[in-house]
Amino acid sequence: MADTPQPELVTITLNGVDTEVRKGQLLIDAAEQAGTYIPRFCYQNRLKPVGLCRMCLVEVEGPRGTALVPSCTQPCTEGLVVDSENAVVHKAQEGVLEFLLLNHPLDCPVCDKGGECPLQDHTVAYGPGESRFVEEKRHYEKPIEISDLVLLDRERCILCARCTRFCDEISGDSLIEFVDRGNGTQILTFFDEPFASYFSGNTVQICPVGALTAKPYRFRARPWDLEAIESISMVDSVGSKVSVQTSQNQVLRINGVDSDTTNHGWLSDKDRFTLQAIHSEDRLRVPLVRKDGELVEASWGEALELVAERLGSVRGDEVAGLGAARSTNEEAYTFAKFLRSVVVTPHMDAQLDDALSDEFLAATLNRAEINDLETAGTILVWAGDLKEELPVLYLRVRRAATILGATLIVIHPRRTGLSDVADHVFTYRPGEGADTLRRLKAGDGPFAEARQALDSGPVMTIVGRTGGAEDPRLAESVAAFARTLPDAAIMPLARRANVYGALDMGVSADLLPGRVSVRDTEGRTALEDAWGPLPEGRGKHATEILQGLKSGDLKALITLGADPVGNHPQPALAGEAVESAEFVVSLDTLLNATSARADVVLPVAGFGESEGTATNLEGRVQKLNRIIPPPGQARTTWSVLDDLARRMGATLGAHDAETIMKEIASIAPAYAGIDWALLDWGEGRDGVVLPGPDGTQPLQHMPVETSVTATTGRFTLHLGRVLYDNADVVRNSPSLDVLVQPASAAFHPRDLAVLAVQPGDSVRLAGDYGTVELAVRADESLAEGTVYVQANMDNSRALGASLIVQVDAVRGEGS
Amino acid sequence: MSFMDTIGLGGFKGFAVTFRQIFTKKVTRKYPDEKRQKPQRFHGRHVLNRYEDGMEKCIGCELCAGVCPARCIYVRGADNPPENPVSPGERFGFVYEINMLRCIFCGLCVEACPTTAITMTQLFEMSVTDRQDAIYTKNELLVEPDGTPNHSQPAGPLIDLNELKLSDGWMRATSPAGRAAYEGIPHWPGSAGAGVRPPERGQRSDGGEV
Repeated sequence: MADTPQPELVTITLNGVDTEVRKGQLLIDAAEQAGTYIPRFCYQNRLKPVGLCRMCLVEVEGPRGTALVPSCTQPCTEGLVVDSENAVVHKAQEGVLEFLLLNHPLDCPVCDKGGECPLQDHTVAYGPGESRFVEEKRHYEKPIEISDLVLLDRERCILCARCTRFCDEISGDSLIEFVDRGNGTQILTFFDEPFASYFSGNTVQICPVGALTAKPYRFRARPWDLEAIESISMVDSVGSKVSVQTSQNQVLRINGVDSDTTNHGWLSDKDRFTLQAIHSEDRLRVPLVRKDGELVEASWGEALELVAERLGSVRGDEVAGLGAARSTNEEAYTFAKFLRSVVVTPHMDAQLDDALSDEFLAATLNRAEINDLETAGTILVWAGDLKEELPVLYLRVRRAATILGATLIVIHPRRTGLSDVADHVFTYRPGEGADTLRRLKAGDGPFAEARQALDSGPVMTIVGRTGGAEDPRLAESVAAFARTLPDAAIMPLARRANVYGALDMGVSADLLPGRVSVRDTEGRTALEDAWGPLPEGRGKHATEILQGLKSGDLKALITLGADPVGNHPQPALAGEAVESAEFVVSLDTLLNATSARADVVLPVAGFGESEGTATNLEGRVQKLNRIIPPPGQARTTWSVLDDLARRMGATLGAHDAETIMKEIASIAPAYAGIDWALLDWGEGRDGVVLPGPDGTQPLQHMPVETSVTATTGRFTLHLGRVLYDNADVVRNSPSLDVLVQPASAAFHPRDLAVLAVQPGDSVRLAGDYGTVELAVRADESLAEGTVYVQANMDNSRALGASLIVQVDAVRGEGS
Repeated sequence: MSFMDTIGLGGFKGFAVTFRQIFTKKVTRKYPDEKRQKPQRFHGRHVLNRYEDGMEKCIGCELCAGVCPARCIYVRGADNPPENPVSPGERFGFVYEINMLRCIFCGLCVEACPTTAITMTQLFEMSVTDRQDAIYTKNELLVEPDGTPNHSQPAGPLIDLNELKLSDGWMRATSPAGRAAYEGIPHWPGSAGAGVRPPERGQRSDGGEV
């Protein structure tokens, strides 16, 4: 990362005290840093100042005497003399508050904001105490639904424009706006267009009054009921900082916490509202054991005894483990240690062969941090649709492209959320990515300008698989090219919350804890000193594991929060593998397609219920905290595995999660020096970025360019993710589940004509792994010969991820 | 030794008080046969009131629970069903529980209540034989739509349910806007069964001077 230049300092006089502040900094921020809080409603530090509410008026001396100016639009200059606490300022503040309260209803007792409301607080602190206004207040219909998640109460609105500015500047979903004039000014959506933004929850959080309220939290609690703890979101791998707020052991609200390094305080609605899944009725509460074909409740002793006996009755390397990508580092480490040193098997995978290779994700050279976006000159995004897959990262890229002025190049098989703000957008047919890359490199034809932009650094490249059917080697080829660009920084993408951490903990066929290759004899010996003898050689990857189970080479499968049957690119293979496995044990929070077929299901603690650390997509280790107990008899994963190891005659030494972290720090080279105290109280409160691959680290991954041969088929499949899919966590969050749209098959209009189908008709898609029937939709952004299907949907899952699909129109009766 | 020597002159002085009291009026009452007239602002058992049209006054705002120094009140609000509202407005008190074992009868909940939903009455006979029975829920606290109060135990020689109808009316003696000039003007909505309670002595009912 480039060093930020030393800011120029100027001296201002604030309330008679000389203070050194950054030149050009807004007065309202400078004063706050100097310890003087200036009240405000419209100003929000992540939004552009507008000076709308006039609450932050201060008296400033100018050439023509003193004047009241809004401190949120006043930059600091040398010799500025400011008074924020004199009688004139107080009179102005009283006036502003009396004015705002003319129309603001006093229904604080029923308002969700009551108790944490800036308008309430400022009225008490700076208000006049009484009003001269005796007329009737303005009235509107009480809350109107502006989306399925957000309610708007226009009576309470003080017209600060925080929500509209967030939508315009930050999320880009300009779906709400001021309408009418004067006393009738109000916030509204456009006709027939709901406020359907993936980021709508942020407007609720930043609303300074109770005008915008979130349906899932509506009337659930009052602010003084809530206990809060800082943690990080485990919905995706950005590692957004959140405040988890509970009452009576129920997580009721999740709010974003402003972190300079990750989320800037913003969250996606999926981060915010999947808390409902924590308290789902379907949460696993007791161990389940299969008896006569049915899963029945059992005691922990009975279930663990059975697992220990069955795992003990097969050879170690006939057992495989899948999962841990949604667990904490401590849990993933225990999982890896259990598999390698107690079961003694090298077969394990934290991924389901649906993203990039383990070594590429863990130890690619020139690894980027999210904050590299702040300084990047050019940003190349050749990955999935960030808005759908990693929405908070999308906000950061969007900010870099719009507010910071970086040149953004987006390459994807269809139009993405970033296309509107990108300087160069290229779409290509899946399977022809290698050719697209060759043309980009050569600056061929339409790529000329983009190629030129890539020569002006620093260049940040975000690279991932654009869809489930795409060859993962393409992303590596892109990364290999990106390394040749000036000041290159590369961010390889995977989506699951702690997949980077799980790989770092060695839940991988290729990696040992701390980013050590299984081929690294020195690293292996060091680990054997701590763990005892390890299985030889490289293990099997997810697909190989499933094939092994199907063919009988492998006998038993342990899953930890993973659902190969529901999520593997070859669903039929996964289903057959789990059916033909002799023994399957699942550690999970919810019953999914895999655990429903398991022989033993062990309930484990989930988000908010266990303490630990997680590693995000830039290699930043952050602390996850516990605030509620797990439901029923559910236990933390590490204690279940420790118990299981003891019953198998071994010991893992996992007595508590903090001790496990100490063990990780002593064993895993990249994690040396990480401990909870540092992350909780020390300099690591915003997380600690692990050292990238350099001389001190054992593993370096050099992305290699592979010539992926172009495919030939009538239609190639773009299997892209959408934010609200039929994942278990969404299914168990009623507020989000209603937003899920079933999958469809999108074609370029000319392809529709060739197929002789209309939007709404059905087509049958037949791939290598399965066949589905889907409704047809037109999408002009697709290249001809492409069919776009949303991944991980109940009606598209059976298709699997094969690049070439056969498309046939389904002719119903009477058509 | 004579009798006089034994008790001494001091004995007579001491008994003088006793003898004098024999002829004064008694202050003790034959409780429960005979009950004392309690002050108007007596802090007895709480009731949850309704408006005169039968709507519940409680909006589930939890201010009572927030102010309670004994942490004995548990309230949860819920969305008012629009077709069949429980209380006027958007929200109603879905759960309302008071643990009478913890309650110190300080009356802060009554002061905090923005809708005069909770008031205190004159009934204090609440002994129970099971701790669970001391947690009063909406079943016991909420009055019937006509204003008839509920109680966990039937009326008897100890329990006079009419005392539950006697709540005071002082709690809204200041103006809602808080302006000093309005202080003392009673302002509260009527309750089912009781109507608009009259102001106390010293409170103004007409906006004029006391």
